Amino acid sequence: MKFEEYRNQVEKINVSDYVELLNMGRKWKKIEVRPYDIKVGVIGSASIQLIVSVLKVLLCKYGIYADVYEGEYNGISMDVFDSESPFYRFGPSYVIVIPDYRDIRERAPDILADGTKVEKAVGSVAGYYRKICDTIHKKLPNCQILLSDFVEPVEDPLGSLGGNYLFSQSQFCRQVNLELIKYRKPFVKMVDIDKLAACIGKTKWFDESAYFLNKSGFALEYIGYFCEAFARQFDACMGKVRKCIVLDLDNTLWGGVVGDLGYEKIILDPNDAEGEAYIYFQKYLLSLKNRGVILAVCSKNDLKNAKEPFEKNENMILKLEDISFFAANWDDKASNIRVIAKELNIGLDSMVFFDDNPTERELVREFVPEVQVIDVPKDPAYYVRALDQSFCFEWNQITIEDINRIQSYRDNAARAELYEVCDNYDEFLTKLEMQVCWNRISDVTVARFSQLTNKSNQFNLRTQRYSDAEIEAMRHSDQYELYTVSLKDKFSNYGVIACVILHFQDHYCEIENWVMSCRVLKKTVEKYTAYKMIEAAEIRNVDEIRAEYILSKKNSMVSNLYDELGFQNITETENKKEYLLTKEKFCALQKRMNYIMKEER
Amino acid sequence: MDIMNEVQEIFRKVFDDDGLIISSRTTADDIEDWDSLTHMQLIVMLEKHYKIKFTTAEIKKAANVGELIEIILQKI
Repeated sequence: MKFEEYRNQVEKINVSDYVELLNMGRKWKKIEVRPYDIKVGVIGSASIQLIVSVLKVLLCKYGIYADVYEGEYNGISMDVFDSESPFYRFGPSYVIVIPDYRDIRERAPDILADGTKVEKAVGSVAGYYRKICDTIHKKLPNCQILLSDFVEPVEDPLGSLGGNYLFSQSQFCRQVNLELIKYRKPFVKMVDIDKLAACIGKTKWFDESAYFLNKSGFALEYIGYFCEAFARQFDACMGKVRKCIVLDLDNTLWGGVVGDLGYEKIILDPNDAEGEAYIYFQKYLLSLKNRGVILAVCSKNDLKNAKEPFEKNENMILKLEDISFFAANWDDKASNIRVIAKELNIGLDSMVFFDDNPTERELVREFVPEVQVIDVPKDPAYYVRALDQSFCFEWNQITIEDINRIQSYRDNAARAELYEVCDNYDEFLTKLEMQVCWNRISDVTVARFSQLTNKSNQFNLRTQRYSDAEIEAMRHSDQYELYTVSLKDKFSNYGVIACVILHFQDHYCEIENWVMSCRVLKKTVEKYTAYKMIEAAEIRNVDEIRAEYILSKKNSMVSNLYDELGFQNITETENKKEYLLTKEKFCALQKRMNYIMKEER
Repeated sequence: MDIMNEVQEIFRKVFDDDGLIISSRTTADDIEDWDSLTHMQLIVMLEKHYKIKFTTAEIKKAANVGELIEIILQKI
């Protein structure tokens, strides 16, 4: 069987269908041999055989063909603390660590233990798991660790009293989880399985009989949910994240049709149960906006009617300034979505569509299949849950740039006005009063560096993806220099909008990675960046700079970037172009980099 | 459909073998993939299908198809 065929079959399976998932696990061997995309190690204290099998299946859904190392039963410390272990010989780039509350139950503090003793017990258990992560990191510095938290057990010998004392078994587990979050390092990502188990219901999640018989940490029925929680993380690590939600208006943001009822009569009264449901949904959307998700509107309405509630209905939580792009017209929604994507300069595959009308959803599914379409329930009371549980905005990190991005989209209107009054483009750029800054990567910018490097698709010369662990490793290596470019103009502060990885070897410097946010295209930032890269190469006194463009599905916009900048094209194949810039030309080229911005130090 | 046929359907699903024939004397030795893990899957599927729950002792003890069916019959 071809991988693609296998993948198509997996895509049709619901995560709740554990029987089909286990069947697909057995068919894994039938996939035609192909190179593995990644190596994943799975280690845990309970039985992990079936977890490994289903994880491999679900990763295929995300286009990942993984070689997976399966740790021994209860073998975490054997694998991790023996530097000669088969686990290290395998050399995974991702490790999943699955502890179980039954491993630590005996280490809970004594009844009536005081605060200090409880802290000690918590610290000692959390410390052990931190040591596991640190040891893996030391031995495999490029490895990204996904650590499950402890699922807090159902039973507590103290009964309801357990909720009153820090020394109780349930509070102990909870504190260990908090301690793990508190001291989390960038190479560790926590996966909240406790929350998953709680959502399913812990009396269903745990099956003691299955634990006694097979050391299964949870009931077999939920293996799909469990593995999906991890598989999703890989998707985000590989740069596939969604960042914009396109919203319908009538019966989505409020009840009723504004064109018929008028802005005052739409159902949005906090004293009405249905009105409250819509308000609750708007509040959730506002929280999404506040974490950096772009809100856009796409409604079949007259523009004036559609905007009126935002301007005049005082129960509206969302205001016009929260909406980055407002499309209200009578065109079909598929075309409108394409317009929104173009205007916001984002890919269709980074968009989510939320509309109460099943016909519109079907249309979007068919004509813009890249967009994730949410299955919207009939009752608005459940809109939040449907959106939340679709896990469409699973990102790897949150950065200050995410929060500011929304503002910069809004300021685009002001920029457009400025452009109107300028005679030419250069004058416009001058009047933007841009200030730019070139910095070595720092503790403050490392999360944004990782995000931009892994999320950028269009202005990305080589489309290499790096885990946080790999970035940390390069950051501390003499052979690499990692830089960020930050930009602000008279309207907004964009923060870090470009990232560069320079790799120094023998006598030359290689531009290993170069990405830029599409929000700042055509602002001469790339010229500034090239200028600074040459400067960095000069300081290290290398003879030449080598650069490369690798074609991907989405980066054709930079296919001639190096030619335009004046690098010498030395080889060219269908998918790849290699360039050279020798020392003698450094100075001449720098002079050509006429960027229109002030450098801030 | 009699119970042997129903159970056989479940076995076929778990072992992904549409031609699999079982009898009451079939044991784990007769089916290559019947190990502790597939045993667990069999149990979960039988429990779902007949809306019953096996006890830990029953799961541990049941050595062949006949014994499994006997336990099911006691419960439905």
